[in-house]
Amino acid sequence: MELSESVLKGLQTLADPNVFDLKSFTTFTEVAFDSLDSSRGESVLGHPELRHIDQTTLKHCHTAATTFILEGVKQNADKSTISSCLEDVRFQNERVDTFYNSFQKNLESLLSSTDTCPPHITDAEWRLEYCYKGTFHVHKVNQPSYLISLNTERAGASSEINFSCTMDQLQDLVGKMKDAAKSLERATQS
Amino acid sequence: MMEEVDRILIHSLREAGTDIDEDVQSVKQFTSELIVEAVVKCLRVIDPALGNGLSHSLPPGMSARFRLGMSLAQACQDVGFKGEIGYQTFLYSNEPEIRSLFMFLVEKLPRESAEASDQPAGKSALLQRAIAAQIKEQSSVPWLPPSCRLPIHRKTQSSGPCYSFHAQPLSLPYSVKVSSRKQPKDVQEYWRNYLLPVTAQPSQHASVPASLLENHISELSATQEWESEWNSQGLLSRLTPEEYRSRKKARLQKRIEEQLRAAAQPRPDTHGATRSTSDLAELLQSFGGASTGGDVLTKGTRFTHTEKFTFTQEPEKAAQQMAAAASALPSSHQSEEDLKAQQEAELSALQQQLQQLSVQMEEVGGDIKQLTVSIQQVSDELQQKEVSNGEKENSIKMKRQTIDLLPDTENNLLKLQGLVEASSKRVVHLASQWEKHRVPLIDEHRRLKELCSNRESESSRKLSEIKDLHDKIRQSAEEAKKKESLYKQLLTEFETLSKDVSRSAYTMRILEIVGNIKKQKEEITKILSDTKDLQKEINSLTGKLDRTFAVTDELVFKDAKKDESVRKSYKYLAALHENCTQLIQTIEDTGTIMREIRDLEEQIDTENGKRTVSNLEKILEDYKAIRQENSALAAKIREG
Repeated sequence: MELSESVLKGLQTLADPNVFDLKSFTTFTEVAFDSLDSSRGESVLGHPELRHIDQTTLKHCHTAATTFILEGVKQNADKSTISSCLEDVRFQNERVDTFYNSFQKNLESLLSSTDTCPPHITDAEWRLEYCYKGTFHVHKVNQPSYLISLNTERAGASSEINFSCTMDQLQDLVGKMKDAAKSLERATQS
Repeated sequence: MMEEVDRILIHSLREAGTDIDEDVQSVKQFTSELIVEAVVKCLRVIDPALGNGLSHSLPPGMSARFRLGMSLAQACQDVGFKGEIGYQTFLYSNEPEIRSLFMFLVEKLPRESAEASDQPAGKSALLQRAIAAQIKEQSSVPWLPPSCRLPIHRKTQSSGPCYSFHAQPLSLPYSVKVSSRKQPKDVQEYWRNYLLPVTAQPSQHASVPASLLENHISELSATQEWESEWNSQGLLSRLTPEEYRSRKKARLQKRIEEQLRAAAQPRPDTHGATRSTSDLAELLQSFGGASTGGDVLTKGTRFTHTEKFTFTQEPEKAAQQMAAAASALPSSHQSEEDLKAQQEAELSALQQQLQQLSVQMEEVGGDIKQLTVSIQQVSDELQQKEVSNGEKENSIKMKRQTIDLLPDTENNLLKLQGLVEASSKRVVHLASQWEKHRVPLIDEHRRLKELCSNRESESSRKLSEIKDLHDKIRQSAEEAKKKESLYKQLLTEFETLSKDVSRSAYTMRILEIVGNIKKQKEEITKILSDTKDLQKEINSLTGKLDRTFAVTDELVFKDAKKDESVRKSYKYLAALHENCTQLIQTIEDTGTIMREIRDLEEQIDTENGKRTVSNLEKILEDYKAIRQENSALAAKIREG
C-alpha cells in the first residue's frame, strides 16, 4: 500500500509515545473512526483527552489517520498488510492491534455509497391493448400491444417506468434479458 | 509395496462413488459384487453413456450374471483396456488381473484437480476471479421482493443512498513545500485555532472519502512525477533541487508571459478591443513588475494620480463645505425644492471647480515637462564644455613645457633622447618580466582546465551509474512486489485445495521406492560383476586344468612305454581326471536343478494366488445352477 509522505509523517507522529500516550491514542483512534462514520462537525477533535496535544499536530495526524483508513478500506487490505504498514512507521504492537480492531467496523458502506446506480426494478405490471380499426377503412389493423409498467426503486424512493411495445419488441426485450443473464453466468465461470 | 498401491486404488474407487467397507484393505479381499460395483461406478464416471446402461449390482440369476460379466468386459475393452478380459475376470477373479484392471480404470478417471491448479497469476486475472466469485455469491442468493427483505439482503439487493464522487479541495494543516516552522505566524495561528478538521471541511459528509482519497492520490502522483523528472533530467543538469525548481518556475513564467503578450497584441482588424488589451497590458506589467521587485506601487496609473490629487484637495474643500452646510442648516426651514436647488447649485459649482483644477493641473504638468527637458539640455552642454576645457588645458601645459625647454635645445634634445631610450628599455624589460610571469600562469590554467574536464567526465560516469542503480532498485522492488503477491495468491490457493490425500506421503513413498530401486540396482550390478569374475576364474582354471592335464598326460605317456609303475600312475591319472570331470558336471547339474526348483516354487505361488481351485469349484456350482435353470426354463416352455 503506497502512502504519501505527509501521511507517513502524520502516522510517525501518531506512533511517538511522547506525543500520544496510550490512552490518548485509543481516544484518538475512536475519534478518527467516528469522524469518518458520521458527520460530527468541528467538535470532533475537541475531546478532553486530546486537549493537551498541539492542535496543528493533532489535525495533521487526524488527516493522516483518516487517509490511511480510507486507503486501507479501499484496497480491502488484510491484517498483514495493515500491520506491516503500521510497523514500518514504528507503531508498537498494542497500538497496531488497537488500530486494526477498529478496522473491523464496516466502513465499506461509506465507500460503497459513493456510487451511481440505476434504479432497481422491483415489480412489473402489464395490460394488453388491442387496436382495432373498423371495416370502413381499407386496412384492418388488428394488432395487440402490451402496456408495461415497471416499478423501480432507488435509495428508498420508488418510481415507475411506463412503456408500450408490440409483441416482437417484447420478445426482443426478453431475449436480451436472457442474454444478459447468460453472460453473467459465463462471467462467473471464467 | 502392494499395500500402498491397494490403498491408493481403494481411495480413488471410493472417490468415484463405490461404497467400500472400512476393513477392506487390499484388492485380495474384494468380492465379486464389490468388483462389479467398483468397475461400473468407474465406468459411469469415465464415460456416462457407457456406464449408465450397466447395473452395479450382481443379479442373482447365473445367466444374468454371465451376461453382465460379458457386457462389463466389452465395456472395459471399449474404454481401452488392452489386457485379456472376459466374464471370468469379474465372476472368478484373481488378484493380479483385478489389480491391473483397477489401475487402468483409475488412470482413466478424469482429474478435476488439474484444471483448477494451473491458473495464471497476475493482477488482472486475480481481479477477474474476485469479480467472478462475488457475482457467483450474489447470484446464489434468491431475489426477494422489497417487503420481504432481511437486513442481510440490504447490501446486495436494495440500493442504499447513492452519492456521486465529488471531491472538494481540502485545506490542510501543513504545507508540502514549506516546512511548518517557516510559515508566517498568522498561518500557524489559523492552523492551530481556526482550521476545521478535514472530515468537517466538505459541505456534505458523503464527499469526505472522495476528497480525502483525491487529495492523497494527487500528493502521491506529484511526488512520483517529481521523482521521475528528477531522476531523468534533474540529475543531468547538476543543480540542487531548489535551484532546478526555481529555474523551471522562471522558465514557465516567461513562457506564459510571452504567450499572453502575443495574444494581447492589438490586432489590426479589431477596433473595440482596446479596453481589454490595455487591462491585459497592465496585468502583464504587474507580472514583469513582480520580478524586478516592487516598483508597482511607485508607478501607478493616471487614474490613481488624478485620484490622489483630487482627494488631497477634497478634504479641505469638503471641510469648508461641511462648515458652510452646517452653518446653513439650522437657519433654513426652506422647502424641499429650495433645498434641492441649493444642492444642485452647489454640485455645479463644485464640478466647475473640479474642471478648473484639472485644467490648471494639466498646464502645470506641461510646464514641468518643458522645464525638465531644458534642464537636461543645459546639463548636457555643461558636461561637454567641461570636457573640452580639460583638453585645452592639457594642450596648453604641453606647449608651455616645450617653450621652457627651447633655450637649451641641444642638451635638452640629448636628455630627451636618453629619456626615450631609457623608457623603451624599461618597456622591453617589463615585457620580458611579463613573459616570465605569463608562462607558469598559462600552465597552471591548462592544468586546472584538464582537472575540471576530468572531474566532469567522472561526474557524468557517476551519474550514469546512479541511473543504473535507480533502474535496478526499481526493477528489484517491482519483482519483490510481484513475488509477494504471487506468494499470497498461492497461499490462498493452497488453503482452498483439498487435503484428504496428502501429497507429501505420496512423494516420500515415491522417493523411498526410488532409493530402494537404486540400492537394488547397485546390488544387481555387484552380483553381476561377481558372477563375471567367477566365470572368468572358472574359465581360466578350466583352461589351466586342461593344459596341465595335456602336459602331464604326454609326459607320463612318454614314460609309460618304458616303466610299469608309470603306466599304473597314468591309469590313475586318467581315472582321477575322469572322476573330477564327473564331479564338476554333477555340481553344475545340481545348480541348474536348484534354479528350476526356485522357478517352479514361484509358479506354484502365483498359481495358488489365482485361487484356481476355489474358482473351479465355483464354476462347477454355477454350471450346475445353469443346468438347473435351463431345465426349469425348458420345463416351463413345455408346460405352457
